[in-house]
Amino acid sequence: MLDPTAVGHLLGFSLYEGLVYGFLALGVYLTFRVLAFPDLTVDGSFVLGAAVAAVLIIYGVNPFLATLAALGAGLCAGLITSLLNTKLRIPALLASILVMVALYSINLRIMGRPNLPLLRETTIFSLASQLPGLETRLVYQLVVAVVLAAIVFFALNWFLRTEIGLALRATGDNEQMVRGAGVDTDKTTILGVSIANGLVALSGGVVAQAQGFVDVNMGIGMIIIGLAAVIIGEALFRPKGVARLLLATLGGTFVYRLVLSLALRAGMAPGDLKLITAVIVIIALAVPYLQKRIRREWLPPAPRW
Amino acid sequence: MITPMSENKSLLKLKRISKIFSKGTVDEVRALDKIDLDVNSGDYIAIIGSNGAGKTTLLNVIAGVYPPESGEIILNGRNITRLCEYRCANFVGRVYQDPHVGTAAKMTIEENMAMALLRGQPRGLRVAANKQRRELFRAALTPLGLGLEKRLNALVGTLSGGQRQALALVMANLSKPAILLLDEHIATLDPRTAQIVLDLTDMVVKREKMTTIMVTHNMELALRHGNRLIMMHKGRIVVDMNQEQKADLTIHDLVVAFERASGEEFADDSVLLHPGNVVGISDL
Amino acid sequence: MKNKRILKLVGSVCMVAVLTLTLVLVSGCAEEPEDIYKIGIFQILSHPALDSAREGFKDAFKAGLEDVGLNETKVVFTERNAAGSMDVCYTIADYFVSEGVDLICAIATPCVIAAATAVEGTDIPVVFNSVTEPMDAGVVNNWTVPGGQVTGVSDIAPVDPQIQLILDVLEAPANNLTLNKLGVMYNAGEDNSVYQVDVQLVEALDNLGLTGNVTVVKATVSTGADIPAAAQTLVDAAVDAIWVPTDNTVVAGIEGLVGPCEDNDIPLVAADVATVERGALGCWGLDYYDIGYASGEMAAEILLEGANPATMPVQTAPMNLLYLYPEEAERQGVTIPQDLLDQATEIIED
Repeated sequence: MLDPTAVGHLLGFSLYEGLVYGFLALGVYLTFRVLAFPDLTVDGSFVLGAAVAAVLIIYGVNPFLATLAALGAGLCAGLITSLLNTKLRIPALLASILVMVALYSINLRIMGRPNLPLLRETTIFSLASQLPGLETRLVYQLVVAVVLAAIVFFALNWFLRTEIGLALRATGDNEQMVRGAGVDTDKTTILGVSIANGLVALSGGVVAQAQGFVDVNMGIGMIIIGLAAVIIGEALFRPKGVARLLLATLGGTFVYRLVLSLALRAGMAPGDLKLITAVIVIIALAVPYLQKRIRREWLPPAPRW
Repeated sequence: MITPMSENKSLLKLKRISKIFSKGTVDEVRALDKIDLDVNSGDYIAIIGSNGAGKTTLLNVIAGVYPPESGEIILNGRNITRLCEYRCANFVGRVYQDPHVGTAAKMTIEENMAMALLRGQPRGLRVAANKQRRELFRAALTPLGLGLEKRLNALVGTLSGGQRQALALVMANLSKPAILLLDEHIATLDPRTAQIVLDLTDMVVKREKMTTIMVTHNMELALRHGNRLIMMHKGRIVVDMNQEQKADLTIHDLVVAFERASGEEFADDSVLLHPGNVVGISDL
Repeated sequence: MKNKRILKLVGSVCMVAVLTLTLVLVSGCAEEPEDIYKIGIFQILSHPALDSAREGFKDAFKAGLEDVGLNETKVVFTERNAAGSMDVCYTIADYFVSEGVDLICAIATPCVIAAATAVEGTDIPVVFNSVTEPMDAGVVNNWTVPGGQVTGVSDIAPVDPQIQLILDVLEAPANNLTLNKLGVMYNAGEDNSVYQVDVQLVEALDNLGLTGNVTVVKATVSTGADIPAAAQTLVDAAVDAIWVPTDNTVVAGIEGLVGPCEDNDIPLVAADVATVERGALGCWGLDYYDIGYASGEMAAEILLEGANPATMPVQTAPMNLLYLYPEEAERQGVTIPQDLLDQATEIIED
């Protein structure tokens, strides 16, 4: 009754999506959790990365360089949001929304039209498909995704343990202590938000190359996906320590895309899928809480977020 | 005002420092009123006073949290009046009353200490917690007797308030700051841990010859610890005694000294009723 | 403590595995016999035009089956809807491919591109409909010889007759109005709309000799929620008529425009029938059902007669039909002249 290839394909594809959208989730994790900076730029920087990568690829630039450029564009977007917040004292949420809205128009200008196809272009995926032994679409997609994810994971894992990275993590944890340790928290915020949006734009650039097009509307709702992934990862894997937290975020993205795929296959409309996402996140958050209640453990007051 | 005699080098000078909150409004408060203070290198000053006397504000102004309305702060010959908090932090070590403020709960003990160690130094891309530093951290934590040196990878959030405060004190010292500011740092601790932290404070101050200003509500503490006692009232220094002058005083004497100096009754119940300060019938 | 954590990790993995197995069992279990055709259909979102295209596709394919003597039970349609989420397009396309469908029907541009990407390396054909510019989208080499696995029916419609309709209504003796300002509402984020407004409309005005005499006032929206505000800007600009191209966003929320048109006596002309029924006074338009039907016929040719999509030219809308809605016209302050009513393919009534 059960088709092992089907299950294998399902898991493999969800893993691929989990990694590729995982960069987005890592970016959201970096801002929302590590820096305690609510950053909604994501919807805009995701498309920015896709747009920049696509335009460069169409102009004949090497796709790896184009993807790198996408990351750079995201860094700029995050830079603007964090500057608005630290130097002009615009509240983080508002600053990020403003940049996100502005990016819609900017992205449209970069693309020149609302939808840019990449079907005939040389992408990192089409290059990978030419390597020996990697003919199946899912296989070479997965290979590219794993390689990129590994690079990002090791880079982040190392960076967050360096002196600067430590200051970044502490900024979201206890800003007063960080200033008391002689660190300018404005600088750490700017660095962190920039890197985070760089990751989101990287995600956009890779996704665009995988699906064959950039659409100026494709960023809508990405922040929800990122947040859901982070929350699911935290609740399911209860990670402690930098490396585990990063892996948990990727794991959360995998679970989210998996459930999405399952629901799709069962015939649910993606409108309902959003409801399912919400339900999953609620369950993921409620179960540990309910467990504690049953055990009559001490419970802190409801966190704001 | 009784001025102390001292041959030591002057470390910190406050000249006519004033700090006003809500200036120009109905709520205007003169938290510090033209304060002059000379802190010598190696001084261990205890500051006491009623609520609203300006003790914490004084610390905050030294630490750069608020800019003073007027006056100057000179540290080691350098004018630091206008420096903001994170720049002052390079030479000011601070322990707060709330143990949660001094440490980062989601990071490990060694990560917190690594943050504190680099106070005053530029931070780069080296891995923050390496072998040598861990040795350093262990050496700093062992004298506490709390077992923290064996738990370098524990999350600070899992420590008790007292343990966090002890850690905060060690962290404040780690970078060998020019001056150490302690703001009622044992006020919220249970007696046993308070004693540990107090002993640690004395030890650190003595060993490092650390210039220290300690704000406290506990008059007994102020009398028994430190080489100088300052009492503040309504933004001014009303009592300033050196070691000899305070050596044989009792709490009752202090109260009298205050009333004489300020011309007011020492009416702050919260200070008088503080466990360390309860005045016995025989003292009156 | 460590055991607890390992247990929790194992528990989580088990939970995920159970979830996987359950739903896979639920959805993909029944083994179909070899001679059933599996067709995956997906569209970008739901609105009457795309929905009727889908129905047209299915009806045509079933008719094709009958023509070769087969029963309609010989085909299984798997229908999915991306509900506006772009990232899901690729997931759906990959799902179809992994299921080994015999053909994919993609309705709208993002869907056809995602499908075209997903079928690379396989021999699954893709038939699209409701895609305005397939060459621009990169899914075909050119209109006459697509050259790959993708072909279909475009919903590109000449804009000239649509503008002519506006002129005919406004300048009729009963109304005696002139067209000085033409309002246009569309989503600048939709490729097909941008093409119709920036290319086709400009050409149409040129062909009709109106360039320079008629000012085009554009109002763009990003989502349906923006429509009322955009409508107000057109009202404030005192446009003489409003034209809505085949724009998914505006068409899905057309009611937000119909109200202001009725309140301010501005004639509203659309580009497809379903929209007319909801409140435009008329259109020289496309019946999306027919577009869908034509694509279904192409699919039947490919699967049942072995035609090669690479050599099947992209088709355009089979007919241009005149639909008129006189009662709505009255509400919008104009009367439709009798000679137009006589030409109408269909008169719509309340």
